[in-house]
Amino acid sequence: MKKSKENSNQKHFLNTSVKGNISDRHKAFLGTTLPEDYFAKSKSSILNKIKEEPQIEQPKKPKKKLVFWMQPQFKYIAAASLTILLSLTVWLQNSRNSEDIQENNFEQLALTDDVLVSSLFLDDTEIDAFAETVLFNEVLVKAELSEQNLDNLILNSLIIEDSLLEDYMDDKLIETIIL
Amino acid sequence: MNTEAELVKKLKNPTLKDMAFSELLDVYQERLYWHIRKIVITHENADDVLQNTFIRVYKSVANFQEKSTLHTWMYRISFNESMRYLDKNNKKQHEDIGDISESYLEVLFEDEYFDGDEIQRKLHQIINGFTEKQQKVFQMKYFDDLSFRQISEILSKPESTLKSTYYTAVKIIEEKILL
Repeated sequence: MKKSKENSNQKHFLNTSVKGNISDRHKAFLGTTLPEDYFAKSKSSILNKIKEEPQIEQPKKPKKKLVFWMQPQFKYIAAASLTILLSLTVWLQNSRNSEDIQENNFEQLALTDDVLVSSLFLDDTEIDAFAETVLFNEVLVKAELSEQNLDNLILNSLIIEDSLLEDYMDDKLIETIIL
Repeated sequence: MNTEAELVKKLKNPTLKDMAFSELLDVYQERLYWHIRKIVITHENADDVLQNTFIRVYKSVANFQEKSTLHTWMYRISFNESMRYLDKNNKKQHEDIGDISESYLEVLFEDEYFDGDEIQRKLHQIINGFTEKQQKVFQMKYFDDLSFRQISEILSKPESTLKSTYYTAVKIIEEKILL
């Protein structure tokens, strides 16, 4: 009889209503208990711990830095003006350079070794000026060279022995005069 | 009594947060305690984990995105905190003892706050023999009185699978209790 009652209790073990206090339910089914007034004490302990915790600050979103701001309609005008200014500067710079190059070319062509070939690159109107420049350069360069030779001759004569001086003077002097 | 939505709103308001948190403790402290206690076994451990859980809730509630209910969200936090606690404190203990199942029952029966009779001890032994999934589902459904939808949100498993797992567990208990 007793065994039958026990079996009946066991059979309905899981069917027993689980309504009511959750702590009572756990005590009834699992045999787990709690210290007296546990939840009240635990609540106050948690609240105290939270007060001790450092307050968490929400990270501030970094502000977008405004470097330069303009009304949209002025933006396009400013951009166009800047482009025109930049283009003008580049164009003026180039045109000046081309004039310089032309002048420099004339001078450079006059100094080249093959004057006849260089003259082919010039206009007919520039030929006279070119010829003058070439002639001037020729005379100037040759005069300069002969002056240098004369200086060398005098300096060398001081170094070379007296016995050879006469021959040396003759040869070099003739060369210099011929040139 | 506040609805959950109102409570969340207050918790997110810095001026009302502390008062709302006190209300939150009144509503959920006991439920979360028992959920934790079944995972970490002893009252002492459950007390530590409960405090950690509520401190984490307090710190993170501003970021709560309300994709699930507050209740489910806190359950998930308490579950994660319990697992972290076990990993941290019981790993070495389990390694020393060797058999986790044996150690679970030993720790439980030796706990100061366990007062189970023969049937309750037997129920613990049966639950302890379940797979991890069966244990979680059965305890959440039967003792914590959560709906399958809530359990599904906490464990990220489909409701149909959870129902099947739960009824299998119930069947096993009924069969073994009657033996």
